Amino acid sequence: MNDLDVRLRALLPRGRVLTSPAQLAAYGADGLGYKNYRPDAVVLPADAAELAAFMRGAKRLAVPLVMRGAGTSLSGGPVAAQGGVIVHTSALKAVPVINAHGFWCEVESGVTLNDLDAILKPHGVFYPPDPSSGPVCTLGGNVASNAGGAHCFRYGVTSNYVLGVEAVLLDGSVHRFGGPAGGRGPWREDWKRFMIGSEGTLAAFTRFWLRLLPLPEKVWTFRATYPDLTTTEAAIHALVADPSYPAAIEMLDPRGVAMVESSQMACGLPEGSFLLLVEIDGPAPLVDGRVPHVAELLRRAGSTDVTFSEEALIRQKLWKARKAAGGLLGQLSPSYVVQDAVIPKRALAEVLRLVYDEADAAGIRVVNVFHAGDGNLHPNFLFDSRVPGELEKVERISKHLMERVIAVGGTLSGEHGIGNDKSGYMPLVFGPDSMRLQLAVPAAFNPTHQMNPLKVFDDRRFGS
Amino acid sequence: MNSFPPLPAERLFTHFLDEVDGTVCLPATATAADLEALLQPHALRFPLFLDPAKPLRDQMAASTFAPASCRFGPFCDNIPGMNWRLPSGQVVRIGERVVKTTTGYDWLRFVLHSGTRYGEPVDYVIRLRPDCGFTLTTRFHGPPDRLTACIPQLLGNGWMHWWDSVDLIHDTSGCCLRVVVHCMPHEAPLFTERLAAIAAGTAGVTLTSNEPRPDAPDGLPDLVLKTTPDRAITLAGELAPRVSRSLALCYNGVVHVHLQPGPDLPERTHALALGVAAELHEMGGDWHSHHLPAIPPSLTESSWISILEQALHGS
Repeated sequence: MNDLDVRLRALLPRGRVLTSPAQLAAYGADGLGYKNYRPDAVVLPADAAELAAFMRGAKRLAVPLVMRGAGTSLSGGPVAAQGGVIVHTSALKAVPVINAHGFWCEVESGVTLNDLDAILKPHGVFYPPDPSSGPVCTLGGNVASNAGGAHCFRYGVTSNYVLGVEAVLLDGSVHRFGGPAGGRGPWREDWKRFMIGSEGTLAAFTRFWLRLLPLPEKVWTFRATYPDLTTTEAAIHALVADPSYPAAIEMLDPRGVAMVESSQMACGLPEGSFLLLVEIDGPAPLVDGRVPHVAELLRRAGSTDVTFSEEALIRQKLWKARKAAGGLLGQLSPSYVVQDAVIPKRALAEVLRLVYDEADAAGIRVVNVFHAGDGNLHPNFLFDSRVPGELEKVERISKHLMERVIAVGGTLSGEHGIGNDKSGYMPLVFGPDSMRLQLAVPAAFNPTHQMNPLKVFDDRRFGS
Repeated sequence: MNSFPPLPAERLFTHFLDEVDGTVCLPATATAADLEALLQPHALRFPLFLDPAKPLRDQMAASTFAPASCRFGPFCDNIPGMNWRLPSGQVVRIGERVVKTTTGYDWLRFVLHSGTRYGEPVDYVIRLRPDCGFTLTTRFHGPPDRLTACIPQLLGNGWMHWWDSVDLIHDTSGCCLRVVVHCMPHEAPLFTERLAAIAAGTAGVTLTSNEPRPDAPDGLPDLVLKTTPDRAITLAGELAPRVSRSLALCYNGVVHVHLQPGPDLPERTHALALGVAAELHEMGGDWHSHHLPAIPPSLTESSWISILEQALHGS
């Protein structure tokens, strides 16, 4: 038993400290996959009180601390890039309060998104953010990375729904920033704003207060295919400006369509087509009346293949194909990177062409499956990290992509966060003065960078 | 791996109108009239104005919410970016022109409503919405308890997503429940029918729609109370006898309080705020008034603020 092991066991009961190589292997990577950083130990606090107690002693451990939910991050966020201890929050699973009448609930940080959905449904309310990792991802990870999802076009992302955050700082102090009312609480400033999307660099989260909405009464899902990027872009532009306010506007490119059609998720999509998946929802009399209008809009933009349905089975099949894309990519290639950037939508075709041109020239396969309504691109680069030079090619394409994204007025991440995958690009976004403001935030809450070092900003190194 | 030399200067927003994304960048001193002139040819609108005559930055200073926040969220969800003048005089860009972002720490939401404590806004990037061509304003009239009974029927189901605002208003003329919906003209009868059904099903309640005289703007509130939705509804009623007008923004849990003007307005505002501060804070809520300084920070909070201030002042 090493020294860290002994000190950890003094802070937590024996069974909740993992140090054997076999146990640690599962924590080496997140959803990014190809980068592996084995932690020195993993701890699993049993509840919020135990997590707070652990944090009170954690500073003295003098090793990096990395908060982790399900580890589904796609940006290299919850990994021990500088070694140290991973704090796995999966046991914090309580949902102590559901106040459907007041449209809020209180949840612990280890609750998974789909579990929360299932708990809320009988109350007639829902929590809208819906990342594809919903069956396993935790609210803690969602808040830390300001997660989004397919229905963000109308409903918004995590930061639009977090009313309050309970955070444990490195000195062991527990603070409630906001609460059911969603304001500042007794503070002069609204500190929860910095906590949301902070990627585990400021504090450990134990519980949240979340805003809820009534469930939509009826949903229609549209499937439209297009022969080229130009007509697809025209359809997207028409949809985002349309008074029918679609909830989701998703796109699969022909390579994504081919991948779906050669899998068990096949749903009869024409070869070589660009697919738009569009959803409208609302009270039945309202949303039923909008169906012909949306179908006509999709046709007018250049589709001769528009179908739509309110049938749950048909709708689910389409969404399963869309959301399973990540898993299918994993079957096609030993490694893949899902990039995440947001651009003004007038630049969609331009930036996608850059992605295809660069990837084709480098001999790297790329599949685009993304949130078109938000201009939130997700090029998936398929490669083999064991082949010398392949990773470097992907990184070079990613760099060119990010430069173009910023040049057209976009941003580095819409919903995955920066992690250590994109921290090197931050000077593209922040000039010297705004960079100083950015770095002041961890300086206030985590000045030694003990929490999640080497993330978000490259030079956040613990012990330097 | 991927490293870039720091940019030589801040990447600031220039004024633009992007009719595809539905975003516009304009000076913080712009008014609703300025915006309408820009947007009119593009069938776009910004629904969150509290007082069309007042500059945008005054509206940010007055409240974090507007009645249309029921459907579109608070101001901070509708202002993705700003050019911000630091106390040092330097102007920096905060936020983005795209709505969806998780790049870095969220300074935008932190400073948007901070008054002049950390500098001041120069320009805003505003998220716009499709102009559907028709606005229906309806009022439920009746005893306060009957009007309150209508609120769950408006908010507790899928129709809730389509009301621009649902406001319980107490003023010198009594109490009413105002519902505004902005929709395509051919859809208006569906909304009217739904509202009429709620009124008909609630004893003692009557409904009026699109009265000939258009609504006067609500104006900037003297005091804003943030609490839970259910508490805001009762709180607006409790405060009514002591104020000239109180509006509960029913879904958002916000009470906008308007007081009679007078030299002692700040004192009266402060007295009202102090009376409810403890219960608001207990639920994670707060109070705010553009007539009054912010509450003093605690010792813990001061230590965080001083680090931020050092950065804001350029040291």
